[in-house]
Amino acid sequence: MNTPLSLLYLLIFPGGLFLIAMGLVYEWADRKLVAQFQNRIGPRWFQPLADVIKLLAKEEIIPAGVSSGLFTALPIVAVAAALTAALNVPMFGLRPAYSFSGDLIVAMYLLSLMTLCTGLAGANTNDRFSLIGATRTLTQLFSYEAPFMLALLGPAIMAGSWNISEINAYAESHLWMVVTQPIGALVAIIGLMGKLELPPFDAPEAETEIVSGALTEYSGRGLALFHIGKDIELVIGLTMVSAFYFGGLSNPIYFIVKTVVLLLITAGLQSLFARLRIDQTVGMWWRLGALLALLQLLVLIVFKGFGL
Amino acid sequence: MMDTEKFLKSAEELLSPLGLPLSRSASFRLDAIVTTDTLVPAAKALMDGKWGYLSAITGLDIPAPAPAEGETPGENHMEVLYQFCNGPAVTTLRITVPYSKPVVPSICGIIPMATLYEREIIEMFGITMEGTPNTDKLLLPDDWPDGVFPLRKEFTGFGTKPAGVEGA
Amino acid sequence: MEAQTTTGKFVVPIGPQHPALKEPGHFEFTVDGEIVTGASVRLGFVHRGIEKGAEARNWVQNMYMVERVCGICSHVHATAYALGVEQLAGVTAPPRAQAIRELVAELERVHSHMLWLGVAAHEGGFDTLFMYSWRDRETVMDLLEAICGNRVHYSVNLLGGVKYDIDDKLADQLRKGVDFLEGRCEHYMKVVTTDETFVGRTKNVGKMSKEEAYELGSVGPTARASGVDRDIRIDAPYVSYEQFPVKLITDDAGDLQARFVVRIKELYESFRLIREILDHMPEGELTVKVPRRIPAGEAISRVEAPRGELLYFLKSNGTDIPDRVKIRTPSLCNWSSVVNYAVGHKLADMPMLLAGIDPCFSCNDRSVTIHRGGNVQNDWSWEQLRQYGIAYYR
Repeated sequence: MNTPLSLLYLLIFPGGLFLIAMGLVYEWADRKLVAQFQNRIGPRWFQPLADVIKLLAKEEIIPAGVSSGLFTALPIVAVAAALTAALNVPMFGLRPAYSFSGDLIVAMYLLSLMTLCTGLAGANTNDRFSLIGATRTLTQLFSYEAPFMLALLGPAIMAGSWNISEINAYAESHLWMVVTQPIGALVAIIGLMGKLELPPFDAPEAETEIVSGALTEYSGRGLALFHIGKDIELVIGLTMVSAFYFGGLSNPIYFIVKTVVLLLITAGLQSLFARLRIDQTVGMWWRLGALLALLQLLVLIVFKGFGL
Repeated sequence: MMDTEKFLKSAEELLSPLGLPLSRSASFRLDAIVTTDTLVPAAKALMDGKWGYLSAITGLDIPAPAPAEGETPGENHMEVLYQFCNGPAVTTLRITVPYSKPVVPSICGIIPMATLYEREIIEMFGITMEGTPNTDKLLLPDDWPDGVFPLRKEFTGFGTKPAGVEGA
Repeated sequence: MEAQTTTGKFVVPIGPQHPALKEPGHFEFTVDGEIVTGASVRLGFVHRGIEKGAEARNWVQNMYMVERVCGICSHVHATAYALGVEQLAGVTAPPRAQAIRELVAELERVHSHMLWLGVAAHEGGFDTLFMYSWRDRETVMDLLEAICGNRVHYSVNLLGGVKYDIDDKLADQLRKGVDFLEGRCEHYMKVVTTDETFVGRTKNVGKMSKEEAYELGSVGPTARASGVDRDIRIDAPYVSYEQFPVKLITDDAGDLQARFVVRIKELYESFRLIREILDHMPEGELTVKVPRRIPAGEAISRVEAPRGELLYFLKSNGTDIPDRVKIRTPSLCNWSSVVNYAVGHKLADMPMLLAGIDPCFSCNDRSVTIHRGGNVQNDWSWEQLRQYGIAYYR
C-alpha cells in the first residue's frame, strides 16, 4: 500500500471527510424520522452540519478543576477511534480500506473506546451531572457490550471467520441471517441503540435528570467532536448490522437501502418507548439480552457442530 | 347544606373544652379566638378529632388607626389565621400578636406539613414561629434585607431612589 | 461547582435552571449512588408580589391581576376571587353566568391536564406522548380562543358575572372538539396503562398511602390518586356544580401511574360535564351589578383548580381597595408530599415525581419586586426597564 493512497483512504474516502459527511446525513435522517413519527416537522437537511459548524466556531470552555490535557484529548481520541473502526467495515458497500483476520474484534473495541472516552470525559469533569452521567455511561457500556458482541459473533461463527469482509461475503452468498438468526438480529439492533444511547436507552444523557450527562461541561470544539464521533458510530453500527444480518453489502445501492431501512426501524423504536431507568436498562440487558444472545449462539454451535 | 352544620357543630364540640370564644362569621365558617397558649391545643384538638385538614395560614397586618389629636397612638397588631377545612366547613383559629412581641408557637409538631406555610408567614410578616423546624428563606431572595417584611402595611417598596448604592 | 460538600454528601441540584423544570424552582437532592436520600425545596424565583400588589389596586383591577397568578389555571383564580368578592358584596351571579364559569373551568382543566400529561411524559423520556398530547391540546386551546379570544388568560369573569356568552354555533364547535378529545384521551389511557416501558417507570413509583396523603395535606389529583376523597367541586359546590355535579374520581394505588389514571379519568368527567352544560344551559342575564365599594368583612372562597384546592381569603375595609388578598395555591400544599416521597427513590424518577404533583411555580410565587444584588432600586417604570434592556444588550 503506497502512502498517498493510504492518506486518501484515511482522510477523504472512506474515512475522514466522507465518513463525517455520512454521519451528519444519517444523524439528520434519524432526527427527521423521529420527528415525523412524533408528528413534528423536524430539522432541515443541513441542520446537523450547521450545528457542527456553529460549535466549531464557538469558544471552548475548559472548566476549573479538570485536567485540561485530558479534557481536550478525549474528544479527539473518541473521533479517532471511530474513524479507525470505519476502515475495517465495508463502508458504502465497498471493500474495506484495511482488512485483516480478526478485525471484527478490533472494530468492536474501537467502537467501545468512543463510549469509554465519553465516560472518562464525564468523570474527568468535576460536575455533579457529569459524574452521574459518566457512571451511567460506563454502567451502560458494561451492560450492552456483551450482548452486542455475542450478537455479532453469531454471523462470525456461521461464516467461520473473524474478518468483517469475509463475513460480509458469506452473508451475501447465503440466506439473510435476519431470517436464520432472528434473535441475534434483534439483540444486535437493540444493542446498537444502547451503544449509541438512543432513546429509550438514553439514561446516560437524560436531559430531564442530569442535563446532558457526561458531556454537560463540554462546549465548542470538544462537543462538536463528540457529536461527530457519535454520528460516525451510528453509520458504522448500521453498516455492521446490515452487513451481518441483512444479506451483506456488495454495492453502494444495497448499502444505502439497507442502512436506511435499519435506521427507519431504530427511529421507530426510539419514538415508541419511554426512557428506561439505568437499572432497568442494565437489568433488561443481562436478564434478557445476554441470555437471548447466548441462546442464539448455543443453537448456532450445535448447528455447526452437527454439520447441518 | 346539612353537612356544613354538622361539621361546624363537631368543630365546636372539639374546641369547647378549651373555653375559646367562638363565633360564626358566615354560614359555613366558625371562628375561634386563640392565644399563644391555646393555639397548639386547639390545633391538636381539631387534628385528634380528625376534623379536616389545615388548608392555609393567613397573615393579616392590622395597624392601629391613626390616633386622634393628643392621644398616644395605639399599638399595631398582626393576626394569624389558621384555616382548617372539612368538606364545605371552614374553622379558623385566629391569634393576634402585637408588633412588640410578634411570637406565635409553631404547630409543626402537630401538623408537620405546616412548615412551608409558616415559613411564608415568617418571611412576609416577620412573625417568629417558636419551634418551627426550618427558617430558611422560602420565597424571598437570599439577599433580601433583614427586618423588611413585604406584606406588612408599612412596606411600600424600597422607594424609587436606590438605597445604599454607590453612584446613584 | 463543587461536587462534594463538606459533609461528604453528594448533592444534585435541580433548578432553578434545569431542563426538567419548565419554570424556575430549586431542589436539592442528596443522593447515594442513584438513590435519593434527602430532598429540599426553595421557591420564590418567580415571586411577583401579587398579594402585596392587590393591596394597591381596586377590586376590579385585582380581578385581572389575580388571573395572572398562573398562566395555566388563570380562570380558576379569577373565579375564586370573583366568588369571594360577590360573597362580600352579597350578590350572586346569574345562573347562566355560573354555568359559563363552570364550562370554562372544565375546559381549562382539560387544557391543564393535557399539558401536564405531555410534561410528565417528557420527564419520563417519552417524547412521543409529549408531542401527541400537546398537539391534541391545541384543540382545546382553539375552543377557548373561540369563546373569549384568548388562548391563555381567558378573562371570562367579571365581578358579578361573565363577559362572554355561548351561542349555538359555538356550542356545536365545543361539542365537536370535545368528541375529538375524548377519543384521543381513550388512546392515552391505553398508553399509560399498557405501554410496557411507561408502566415500568410509573407503577409503584412514588407511592403515597392514604394516611400519608391526609397527613401531608395533599390536595387535588395528587391526593385523589392516593384514595383521598377531597374535591371542592363536590365537598363545597360553587358556581353551578350543584346543578351539574361531577363524579369523584379516586384511585387507591397512590403511585405515579394512579396520578396519570386519575387525571385522565377526570378528563372524561370534564368532557361529560361540558356536554351536559351545553345541553342544559340556563337562560338569562350574564351579569348583575356589583358595587364599586365592597362592604367591610372577610370572605373565604374555595375552588377546585386543576391542581387541587385553591383558597382565597379576602378582607375588605369598606373601600374600593381590598385590605388583604391571600392566595393559597394547590401546588404549595403538594410540595410537602413530594419532598416526603422522594426519599428512597432513584434519581431518574425525580423529574417524574416532581411533575407528578403538577407543580406550578408561578402559583406558589407571587412576589414583590425586581430585586437585584444589593439594595438597587426596584420600582422600575416601563421606560426605565426599556432603557435598561437597551443598555444591557448594547
